[in-house]
Formats: sequence, C-alpha cells, structure tokens
Amino acid sequence: MDPFAMLGAPRRFDLDLSALEKTHRELSRALHPDKFAQAGASERRAALEKAASVNEAWRVLRDPIRRAEALFQAEGLAVGETNEPKASPAFLMEVMEEREALADARAARDLAKVKALGAGVSARAKAVESRLTAGFAGGSPSRDELAALLPLLGELRFYRRFLDEVEAIEEEAEERALAGARGVSP
Amino acid sequence: MAYSEKVIDHAENPRNVGTLDKEDPSVGTGLVGAPACGDVMRLQIKVSDDGVIQDAKFKTFGCGSAIASSSLATEWIKGKKVEEAEAIKNVDIVNELNLPPVKIHCSVLAEDAIKSAIADYRAKQAAKKA
Repeated sequence: MDPFAMLGAPRRFDLDLSALEKTHRELSRALHPDKFAQAGASERRAALEKAASVNEAWRVLRDPIRRAEALFQAEGLAVGETNEPKASPAFLMEVMEEREALADARAARDLAKVKALGAGVSARAKAVESRLTAGFAGGSPSRDELAALLPLLGELRFYRRFLDEVEAIEEEAEERALAGARGVSP
Repeated sequence: MAYSEKVIDHAENPRNVGTLDKEDPSVGTGLVGAPACGDVMRLQIKVSDDGVIQDAKFKTFGCGSAIASSSLATEWIKGKKVEEAEAIKNVDIVNELNLPPVKIHCSVLAEDAIKSAIADYRAKQAAKKA
C-alpha cells in the first residue's frame, strides 16, 4: 500500500498534516459501515478494508519516521535492519555522549538539564527533517541521492529514542512531585 | 513481549557496566548502533601483553535484550584470548539468552561491538609498533 496515494498526498516529506487529517476524516466518514448497511456483502467488505487502509495510511503519514520510511519505499528503496547503512562513528560517539549526559542528569534529578538536553536533540531532529524535506522536494530523487538521504532515517530513530527517554524522565519527575505533594515519600 | 529468565537476569543485574580509559593503549573501544531501532552500545576490552582479555566493560542504551546481549558478551570474553573472543557468534548469544526472532539484531549488535573493540585494540597496537 502506498499511503501517499491512499490519501491523495504528494510524495514529499513536508506534508500539510491538518489538511491530511481532514482528508482522512472525510474518507473515513464516506467509508463508515452505516453507509453500507444496505449494500451487498462484498461491497461492505471492500468498504471495511478500504477504511482500514485509509486509517493505516494516516497513521504512517502523521509520524515523521514512518512517513520517511514510506517515502523511501515508494521510491523503491528497502528500509529496515539489514538494508540501512551503519551509523557513522562520529554520530554514534555524539549519541553515546548525550545518552550518558541524560543518564547522569536523571540520576542527579536535574530536570532542567534533562529538558535542555531534550531541546538540543529536538532541534537536531528538526534539522534532519529539514534535510529530508529538501531531499524529497524536487520530485523523485536519483538512486545516489536516495542513498545519501537514507542515513538520515536512522538518525531520526536515534533521536526518537533519546526523546522518548526524556519524556519518561519528565513523567517520572512529575509523579515524584505529585507523590511529594500528597505527603507520600517517593 | 515475554523475555526469557536469562534476559531479565542480565537486564536487571547487568554485569560489567562501566568504562575503561579509552586513551590506554591496551584498551580497545567498540562503539556500535542499530539505525533500525536507535540502540547504542559501547564495549571495551583491556588486553594483557600476552593477548588475554583481562577486563571488559559495557554501556548500552537500548532494550532489555540489547543490555542482556552486551552484558553476556562481556562475561564471556573476560579471560579469553583475543582470537577466542573474536570467534564468538551472535547465534551463541541468541541460544544462551533464548532471544526471539525480533530481538536477534540485539545479539548482532553485541557481536559487532566485540569485533569493533578488538579492531580498535589492534589498530592501537599497530600504531604503537609503527
């Protein structure tokens, strides 16, 4: 399934998500089972299947990482474990250092530091997304261009992992604050 | 997903977590990552003059299986000759930890980390002789 075709979206990285959400809502409404109550069994089944595909397409396109994966796949490039290049040593070094700094900040319960590290990584993830936007802005990239863009997908996943961790630490701190406010020792 | 008991044991009580001095010429550092999931793993070895791995440390940011794979790897390579450590295959780790198919890449990462640490150690030794 090509999620871009499914929702009538252009094959680009920067999509108008609010417009796309509207398209998804309209399509879902048109495919709602109530609209097919009088239809034959096969037509009902077809509508149900299409509704499921439309939902899946929206879930893919709203998520930057899954959207990038779908873009590479739509251009005929396989993604995933064995198909993507290894991250460069310099990049891994940077990720490792940031993860250690985050672990230290967590241990020290230094929430300001946690937030600052999160903001830094968030900005870098945005910069990677801008490069993906540029890479897919001018129609289908060449094979060489695609290969040069592919490491960015891995970088986004490393950043996502980092930001998930930031979120978990922030939740942990909130729970601790709530427990403290109730007079319960954490 | 259900983890095997051995994975849980290693993930909750990881062995040999820490760092060795990466500037030390007898220390090899391997740094690897899995772009498909965003895990990063650092594995270090300290090798004696007669080529035996005296100490091994690791630091892994990733799932329980990735932590367990690297923890087990450090346990296994300690006391081994470099050549013996180099022969460890990811399937050995898979079998020991009963890793499910979706977690096999964690064991691949650990094998890569061992090899990359050994390569770094050898490069340092070669540079010393040169």
